[in-house]
Amino acid sequence: MPPHKKAREQATRQVNVAKQVLDPEVLTKRTKRHLEELERTNYSASVTLNDPDSEPESSTNPKSKFRARQMVISDKRTFGNSKPKKKSSMNVRTAVLYRKGLAALVDESGISTLPSTVPSYLTATAPPSPYPARLLCSVCGYKGAYKCKKCAMPYCDMNCGQVHDETRCERRVI
Amino acid sequence: MAAASQTVVLDNGGSTIKAGIVRTDLGVDDEVRLIPNAVVRSKGDKATFVGHEIGRCKDYTTLHYRLPFEKGYLVDWDAQKAIWDGLFSSEVLSVNASESSLLITEPYFNLPNIQDIYDQFVFEEYEFLSYHRCTPAAMIPYGQLFAVEGLQLPECSLIVDSGFSFTHVVPIINNQIQWHAVKRLDVGGKLLTNQLKEVISYRQWNMMDETYIVNHVKESCCYVSTNFFADLETCRLKAKKSEIAQEYILPNYVTNTGGAVREPGHELAPTDQVLVMENERFTIPELLFRPDDIGLEQSGLSSMIAASISLLPEDLQGMFWANIGLIGGNTIFPGFHERLMSELRSLAPVEYDIQIYRSKDAITEAYRSSLEFVRSADFATHFVTRAEYLESGSHAIRRKFGHWQSGNSNKSGERVMKSSSSADVVPQLSKKPSRSRIRTAPSTSSRRR
Repeated sequence: MPPHKKAREQATRQVNVAKQVLDPEVLTKRTKRHLEELERTNYSASVTLNDPDSEPESSTNPKSKFRARQMVISDKRTFGNSKPKKKSSMNVRTAVLYRKGLAALVDESGISTLPSTVPSYLTATAPPSPYPARLLCSVCGYKGAYKCKKCAMPYCDMNCGQVHDETRCERRVI
Repeated sequence: MAAASQTVVLDNGGSTIKAGIVRTDLGVDDEVRLIPNAVVRSKGDKATFVGHEIGRCKDYTTLHYRLPFEKGYLVDWDAQKAIWDGLFSSEVLSVNASESSLLITEPYFNLPNIQDIYDQFVFEEYEFLSYHRCTPAAMIPYGQLFAVEGLQLPECSLIVDSGFSFTHVVPIINNQIQWHAVKRLDVGGKLLTNQLKEVISYRQWNMMDETYIVNHVKESCCYVSTNFFADLETCRLKAKKSEIAQEYILPNYVTNTGGAVREPGHELAPTDQVLVMENERFTIPELLFRPDDIGLEQSGLSSMIAASISLLPEDLQGMFWANIGLIGGNTIFPGFHERLMSELRSLAPVEYDIQIYRSKDAITEAYRSSLEFVRSADFATHFVTRAEYLESGSHAIRRKFGHWQSGNSNKSGERVMKSSSSADVVPQLSKKPSRSRIRTAPSTSSRRR
């Protein structure tokens, strides 16, 4: 009996090749990043360095204390105020110079340590939705019936799918 | 101690400040002044505009905003001080703080450390004689929003405040906010504008830096659809020729200065750039009702109202459904009211009546209600004088103003009210004892004030 011929080599099916499992954690991180971007005031960080107003909002800037003098814009205008400006009190000056973000203020306020019967900013958030989310095409906005295999963004038909692949498919989702 | 001859009313909002003066001795109020609460730098004009100075700006493209408010709370006091200095100066209001009283609004659930800074600014920096700090919703019961011919003002009401930073649902019993039932949705005008910027930048022109222009586009073109999928189908099938599509002519500040929606038959100049708004018109405000469209895991406005009401005493719930008031800029979207009514109708129990009250001008509603509050007798008991502050400090002020840290709502207040309400406020009480009663009036109606 002739030896069995090696089974004819076939390339693995395309369906099985591209089977990467997209980690749901990655998805939630991406959504969270997108939502944070939606809360930003200005899209691009400002350009000119000379203008002290243009300092991007970062309270973690290590030089902020050093350059605090220059960053106070409220001293720049006098608005027709003829009488000489008296010196502000200590509290007010501290508040004006050292700008803290909301997250830092929430931590400082200690509301996370309040007993659960006391309502606060943290407990007042709306409850999660009882309905499942509906998918809208990320390209044109119509109903998104299909999701991209690589980055899980919804699209509605082949044209939009192609546009998505060409423009903003995140092949390696961060 | 001299009593204040005038009161400055300051509705300090995330996007706009509504300010004015009530002159108690003259009895005549000034017009409300609307000032953007931002320090704006214009690259085209190469100048920085603080608050009210925005009127001098000629070129509205690529404006860089510096907002004192972050996610709805006042964090940047430097910018806020600059804006307030301009507001109180002779260029706008001409306030002499040491002879005036102040009424200022703060966000819901304002943090205690931020509240301290409000006190410091009012008493130590500007040196007002006295002041009262409250939330916008607390002022509404004094105003005209719920006023109907021949009926008393309701004792239980539910205020929906949808503004720049977020949306709150605030139940009020007897002028007291029920803090345990206040709910917040993190969708506000800012998020809607940014989402619109992203969508336009992907599909048409890159407008990620044009906050001012896209905000105007949103306010002129967007509406809330009552039938989301039907409108989506219309846009799909007919594209540019559908009734929904609108074209917005972008301003270029050389030939045409204002951006506007294109009228049918309007000839376009060859240099005009046009934005086509189709399903963006209604998918953007849809986020108020379905925030999960962008992945925000919070329920929409209607479910939030239902959740808030369910936290209130059962026998009063009917009154809340019947007295829902809308304030805030986002409620001005065309179709907002009809959509909210249709969604709430399916969420509320069948026997309850639903009434939604709109205001003549939702943006200044809290301001106008504050004017009534200042003139009422209650104001005299509510404000804190500078002498009291210097003596007892911020903690005492918090106690006097009735803050959210004081714990649960006054259960005793509710008992007292129940016994008296059955006699008088019958027209507003809408819980029907039996379903077989024939109704002559339509079961859902809305009053426009």
